[in-house]
Amino acid sequence: MSARKFLSCGKCLLITVGIAIVGGVAFLYSGLYPMGADVPHNALTYWGLETLRERSIERVASKIEVPNDMNTSARLLRGGADYNDMCASCHLAPNKKQSDFTLGLYPSPPNLSLARDEVGHANHGDELYSQQRHFWIIKHGIKASGMPAWGPSHDDQRIWDMVAFINSLPKLSPEQYQVLTARGDSSNEH
Amino acid sequence: MNTKIITFIMALSTAVFTLSAQAHDPKEHMKNAEKPDCTAMEKMDKSKMDMQDPITQAMMKQCMDTMDMDMDEKAEDENESQSHADESTEHTH
Ligand code: HEC
Ligand SMILES: [Cu+2]
Repeated sequence: MSARKFLSCGKCLLITVGIAIVGGVAFLYSGLYPMGADVPHNALTYWGLETLRERSIERVASKIEVPNDMNTSARLLRGGADYNDMCASCHLAPNKKQSDFTLGLYPSPPNLSLARDEVGHANHGDELYSQQRHFWIIKHGIKASGMPAWGPSHDDQRIWDMVAFINSLPKLSPEQYQVLTARGDSSNEH
Repeated sequence: MNTKIITFIMALSTAVFTLSAQAHDPKEHMKNAEKPDCTAMEKMDKSKMDMQDPITQAMMKQCMDTMDMDMDEKAEDENESQSHADESTEHTH
């Protein structure tokens, strides 16, 4: 193989890459990509964003240490009341099947009252990673989605409480959900 | 006199402002606090409940008061149930 042939091949590679970059930038400037939340991403964009999100979360969340008292009634009660106040409008509840947010947001908030293998709430690894992942997502939120970061206004303990509650949420009946999330006192001026 | 009122209003509005700017206290949600509806719980057979289950424990905690009231109602005499409540070790409140 002559050195000249090799050089020309490198040149054509460079030209191809150059055209791809110029084409990509031209596409961005063309404004052709639909930005409305009522038009879903195409399969390629969806795959790209999902991979970006899950790889990024996995890298940081798998190092988080989960408290060893996750399975307590105290956590369920504190987390349940907070969940009902701050999250149920988007992530629903056993007696709530849809809301303005689940219909209108894109990506749509997953229904956290469904079991992990049911529709809407995909299975992401084992129980430990699921808790680490939930904690990270609640604390930091997810860019360019409706999911806010709750870390700036809530301490870690309250976030773990909600992680504990979310873990039990798919098992709750509508009646149990009501009792566990009620903040008021059950007695009348007891 | 006038400056006193102005100072007072300023202090008050500052206090209100800093209070509202404080990060999210659970008490803030108390405004629309709902009471737990324990009717389903009362009908349940307590001997069949799994007391090791955190969900059951949490349900018991939330419904403690109504369930206790239920027991009181079964007592024949109001006054008696009152004195009974004082000696009983079951009553935790
Ligand atoms: C305004 C709507 C909204 C509110 C309020 C909201 N979320 Fe979200 N949440 C979302 C959206 C949208 C996503 C999905 C983001 C994505 O797929 O990129 C999400 C994702 C999540 C996930 C990841 C689910 C999974 O398994 O993929 C968890 C966990 C979560 N939210 C918990 C919470 C908790 C806890 C609260 C309350 C403190 C809350 N969210 C409040 C919109 C919301
Ligand atoms: Cu809150």
